[in-house]
Amino acid sequence: MLQQLLEPTPLPPSIKANRIPSGSDTYNEVLDFLYDEAEMLDNLRLGEWAELLTKDLEYNAPLRHTRSTSQFDQTYSRNVQHLHENYGSMLMRVKRITDTKSAWGEDPPSRIKRLVTNVRVYRIDDSDDLKVESYLLLTRSRFDFDYFDLIPCVRHDILRREDGALKLARREILLDQVVIGTPNLGVIL
Amino acid sequence: MDRKSNPKLSDGTLLSDLINLETREVKMRALSDPELFELEMERIFAKTWVFLGHETEIPNKGDFVVRDMGSDSVLMARGADGEVHVSLNVCPHRGMKISTHDVGNTMTHVCIYHGWAFKPNGDFIGAPVEKECMHGKMMTKQELGLKKARVAIYGGLVFATWNIEGPSFEDFLGDAKWYFDTLWCRTDKGMEVLGPPQRFTIRANWKTACEQSASDGFHVLTLHRWLSEVGPYRKPGSEGGGGDLTPEMYGTEVYTAHAHTMRCIELDRKIRRLTGKDPSELSIKEKLEALPPPGITPEMLPEVLRRFSDDQLRVMAWRPPQVGNFFPNGLFEFVYIPSPDGVIGVMALHAYVPKGPDKLEFVNWILAEKDTPPELKAKMLRLGVQLLGTSGMVEQDDSDTWPHQTLAAKGAVSKHITMKYQSMYENNRLEGWPGPGDVGDGFTKDDTQWRWWEYWYELMTAEN
Ligand code: FES
Ligand SMILES: [Fe+2]
Repeated sequence: MLQQLLEPTPLPPSIKANRIPSGSDTYNEVLDFLYDEAEMLDNLRLGEWAELLTKDLEYNAPLRHTRSTSQFDQTYSRNVQHLHENYGSMLMRVKRITDTKSAWGEDPPSRIKRLVTNVRVYRIDDSDDLKVESYLLLTRSRFDFDYFDLIPCVRHDILRREDGALKLARREILLDQVVIGTPNLGVIL
Repeated sequence: MDRKSNPKLSDGTLLSDLINLETREVKMRALSDPELFELEMERIFAKTWVFLGHETEIPNKGDFVVRDMGSDSVLMARGADGEVHVSLNVCPHRGMKISTHDVGNTMTHVCIYHGWAFKPNGDFIGAPVEKECMHGKMMTKQELGLKKARVAIYGGLVFATWNIEGPSFEDFLGDAKWYFDTLWCRTDKGMEVLGPPQRFTIRANWKTACEQSASDGFHVLTLHRWLSEVGPYRKPGSEGGGGDLTPEMYGTEVYTAHAHTMRCIELDRKIRRLTGKDPSELSIKEKLEALPPPGITPEMLPEVLRRFSDDQLRVMAWRPPQVGNFFPNGLFEFVYIPSPDGVIGVMALHAYVPKGPDKLEFVNWILAEKDTPPELKAKMLRLGVQLLGTSGMVEQDDSDTWPHQTLAAKGAVSKHITMKYQSMYENNRLEGWPGPGDVGDGFTKDDTQWRWWEYWYELMTAEN
C-alpha cells in the first residue's frame, strides 16, 4: 500500500514481438521527436519543451545501488528517487528557470549536449502509446571549469499521440552512477 | 578554553593565524588547506560523534549499509543480537574493503581477497582452511575482528564515534537535546526513512556546506530568492509583503556549546492565515491542531501532547526548530511548505561527507513518522524530492557557491581574505523563552555560524 503510493506506476514491458523496426515511418518520427526535444533543451527553449508533456506526466529517476551480479535487478530504488515528478512539478521546474531572475543553480546556464543513441521503439499491447528506450549521454560544462560533468543514462519513455503530435507521457531515467557526479540534477534529462 | 596545541602548517602558519576570535573572522585558507584537512579527519571526524543514517534502513538481522565516518568507510549492520553495530569496513588481514556493496543482508561478511569472514558485529569468524590456521597463531580471534566503533541510537538516528572512552552521546548533544527531542522523539513508534538516501558529489570542501548548515539565515534571502518569485512562498500582498522572504527570517536562533544550532522560525503568520485568528488568543493545543508539526496529523496530536513538557509544546506551537545542524556534518530540515493541498511538512536529514579537501558527498535522507498516514507520506516524499537534495529546486542553488568558495581558498591573495561573522545578536534571550542554550531573538544573525567555527577551533586545537 505505502510502497504503491511512494513508487511510480510500473512501466509496460518492452516486448520483442512488438518491436517497431528501425527506419520505419513510426521509428523515424520517434527519432525526430527525441532529437528535437534534445535541441530544445540544449538551447534553453524550456517553455516549448513543456508543451511536449501530457497532463498525466510521470517523470522519475530512481536511485541506484552497487550490489552483486545476482542482485542486478535490485540495484534500483524507486521509493526515494532523484526525480519524482508530475506535470505540475515539472512545470514548476521550468518556471523556476524561465520566470525568475534567481535560479542560480542554472544561471549562468550550463552548456549542455544531449547525445541520444540506441533508440528502440515498441508497440504496447492494448494501447496506442509507444514505448521508447534510448541511451542519453548528457555532457555539462559550467563556468570556466576544464572538465565536463557526464550524466550517462537509459531512458524508458511512453510517447502518446495527442492532436496528431507525439507527446511525452512517461519517462524513467536509469542513471549509471550511484553517487551522481554533478552538483545537482537541475537539468532536464 | 585552554589551548593545548596550536597546529603549525608546513609553511610556518599557525592555526591561530587563520582565525580571529575577537573580530569573528576566518581566513579562506582554512576552508581547503590539505594539511588542515588531514588534521580535521583526525581531530574532528575520528573524535566526535558522527551521524551515519537511520536504524530503519537496516530493520532485519544481517541488514547492512556502507557509510562514511569522515575519510573512513564503515559497515553499519544489524547483528544477530538485533543491535546496530558500526565497524571499520577494512579487512584486518591486508586492508581490502570488506563490503564493496552499498546495501545488503548477510550474517557473514567474507573478504573477497583471502576469504577472512566476519559477523555483522565485526567479530572474526575465521579464515578459509580452518585446520591450516591461515591467520597464524600470534593473535587470538578476538584480536582479529573488524575495528569497532561506539554506537548511539537517538530517535532512530545512528551515530558512531571512534572515541571509545570519550564523552557520552548525551553530553555531545548537550542543550540541543531539549530541542532535538521535539523533532526526533515526537511519537511512540518513532520515525522511518522513506527509502535509501540520495547521494551526489559536489567539488567543494565539506566546511563550506557545514558552516552554512549551522543556521545561515541570510543566504536564504538572496541565494534562494527564487522561492519568493515563483515558488511556494510567493504571496500576493497580504503576507510577507508580496514575495518578500524577510518575514521568514524572524524567530529565535539557538546555538549550543558543541555547535549544534537551529533556527526556530515563527509560525504565527501561518497560523493566522490558516485559522483567521490571532495566535495569541489560541491555546497551544489549538495552534498545534491548526498547524501540526511535519508528518503529524491532528489525530496523532494527543500522543505528541503527552510526550512533552508544556515548555517544549509551547516552542513547538510557536517557534519550532525548522532548520539547523548537528556538528560536525549533519543538517536537518523540518519545514512547513505551503502547497495546493495545504501546508505539508517535509522532514529531511543531510550528511556532508568529506571526500578530500576539495570534494564532498551530499547524502540526503527523507523521513516521516512511522504513524504518518501513507497518503501524507507520499506527499512529503514528493515535496522533499522536489525541493531538497539532488534535484531539489531550493538546494540546487547551494551547489554552485560551495565550489567557488573552495576555489577562492586556493588563491595566493584570496586565501588571506576572511569570511566574516560579525552580525551579532544584541538582545540575547527573549523574555520568557523556555529552552536552554545560547539564544538570539529577532532577525537572523551570524552567532550560530560563529559558534560552529569556535567549536571547530576548539577541537582542532585540543591535545590528543
Ligand atoms: S585482505 Fe581480507 S582476507 Fe586478506
Ligand atoms: Fe541553502
